[in-house]
Amino acid sequence: MIRLFFAAARFQVLQMRRSPGDLLVLVTLPLLSVAFLSILVESGDRDLAPYAVVGTAVMSIWSIAVFISGGIIDTERRGGTLEAIVPTPAALSVIVVGRIMTVTVISLLGLPESILVAWAAFGIRIQVVHPAVFLLTLACTTIAVVGTATVMAGLFVLSRSAQTYQNSLTYPFYVLSGAVVPITYLPGWLQPVSKAVFLSWTSELLRASLLTAQPSRVPFQLAVILLLGVGAFGTGLLMINRVLNRLRRQGTVGQV
Amino acid sequence: MSATDHSIIEIQQLYRTYRRGKDEPRKALDGISLTIGSGEIHGLLGPNGAGKTTLCKILSTVLLPTSGAAKVAGHDVVADAAAVRRLIGIVFGGERGLYTRLTARQNLMYWSALYRQPTSAARPRVEALLERVGLKERADERVELFSRGMKQRLHLARGLIGDPQVVILDEPTVGMDPVAAREFRTLTGELREEGRTVLLTTHDMAEAEAVCDRVSLIDGGKLTATEDPRTIGRWLSAYERVTAQGVPASEIARLEALPGVVSVRIQVPDSILVETSAEGAAAAVLRLLLDAGVTSMSTGRPSLEEVYLHVIGNRGLVIR
Repeated sequence: MIRLFFAAARFQVLQMRRSPGDLLVLVTLPLLSVAFLSILVESGDRDLAPYAVVGTAVMSIWSIAVFISGGIIDTERRGGTLEAIVPTPAALSVIVVGRIMTVTVISLLGLPESILVAWAAFGIRIQVVHPAVFLLTLACTTIAVVGTATVMAGLFVLSRSAQTYQNSLTYPFYVLSGAVVPITYLPGWLQPVSKAVFLSWTSELLRASLLTAQPSRVPFQLAVILLLGVGAFGTGLLMINRVLNRLRRQGTVGQV
Repeated sequence: MSATDHSIIEIQQLYRTYRRGKDEPRKALDGISLTIGSGEIHGLLGPNGAGKTTLCKILSTVLLPTSGAAKVAGHDVVADAAAVRRLIGIVFGGERGLYTRLTARQNLMYWSALYRQPTSAARPRVEALLERVGLKERADERVELFSRGMKQRLHLARGLIGDPQVVILDEPTVGMDPVAAREFRTLTGELREEGRTVLLTTHDMAEAEAVCDRVSLIDGGKLTATEDPRTIGRWLSAYERVTAQGVPASEIARLEALPGVVSVRIQVPDSILVETSAEGAAAAVLRLLLDAGVTSMSTGRPSLEEVYLHVIGNRGLVIR
């Protein structure tokens, strides 16, 4: 199983090297960072730069999760390779998780990239003041992204127009994660909803790790991210098996 | 059953119905029963839409049957799919099913990992397979640059990467040039020598005759007959067709009167098509035409549909 996981991860790296379009989000991210940062700089709020940096990074992580990781099974199906994978002894769920993990780790590059943009474009030095919190948040977030993307990978196969769902799943989550606007600015009725989105906890912790103030409730927030991620992961694995059986029953494993 | 006495594929009353929305359900398999012996090369011959691919998909666990049972080496394809997957290799025809942005070697290395082969064992196996299917020189080219025939060769290599006991080949020579198709026949013989069982679907009667130990005819989801490949050969020669130009009108009646001639049809002005249904009849037609001074003529093998019409129409549904 571990060998298969790493084979899937290596395969994903090869695929992404041949498909630079998959990483377009990381290419356009600096523009987004510049836009966010320039608003803060112009309004004299340079000390709020971590909000912009974390916001754009979270947006890129989520965007890549929705469009690349979420579409992994659907892409296999459209290419006819799912029909060739099913008769092998390999567990599809392990392949999918191995590939999504790779995509997710690569998507984390958005964070250092955004920090670099802040320094290069505006001379703002963002320091990781609490490295342990920073690293633990990234680790828990990776698990949560993988779990959530696994659910999406199963869900999108059921849809005839996965791209519509993918498009619809970006902006609402940018808002609910606190990437675009701090959650405290959202209408009161919306704030509890954002608590069910693991990225809102990620945003909060990542920002806290970049600010000098001592972060509070770190273990609790990390636990929430992990809990939401593991819950999604379990649902995702169940969904992949269910969806695959459904496709086998319907005779649509190889159909678009 | 041939090759060995014990069966490796057992199919009992297999049905598969497709339902699409409000459309009438379509029966793709209609109560098929078939037994294939270990080490046998079994041909599944039928026109497009006959149910060949559906049967292959069920045997390879890609598709669930509506009812009935199918076993590979005693393992049920539904209840024990994991065990079946360790034993089979499948090659679907067509251009899909490969990672076109990767090279042939990268494709095979990845597929070998899906068959749980450690890298140290996979490397020599991949090299051997690339050599075997004639892709060694192009192994590091991206698959998207390959011709259809080369992709088909890569499909073959992929189907063999897991060292399968049972190889299911669904229209494996689609897109191959004649030379590659001949090499494929040699490869099939090698698979037999290695003791593998092969289920080969095709609509090419000459291919079925050349490589198979037994051939099952399938149409409309039903198995209509299981024959010795020599019988297929006899059909090919018995139902030969003769096309000729410049045949005097007076000779048409004489042609129709020849034993074994089924019909003489005028296709376009000055061209006729003679259909036969007995061995040697085509030779008699050619002699008559030559004696009548006709020099522009050719013979052709019958299409699968024509043979079906003759064979099934003549003797009904017989399973031997």
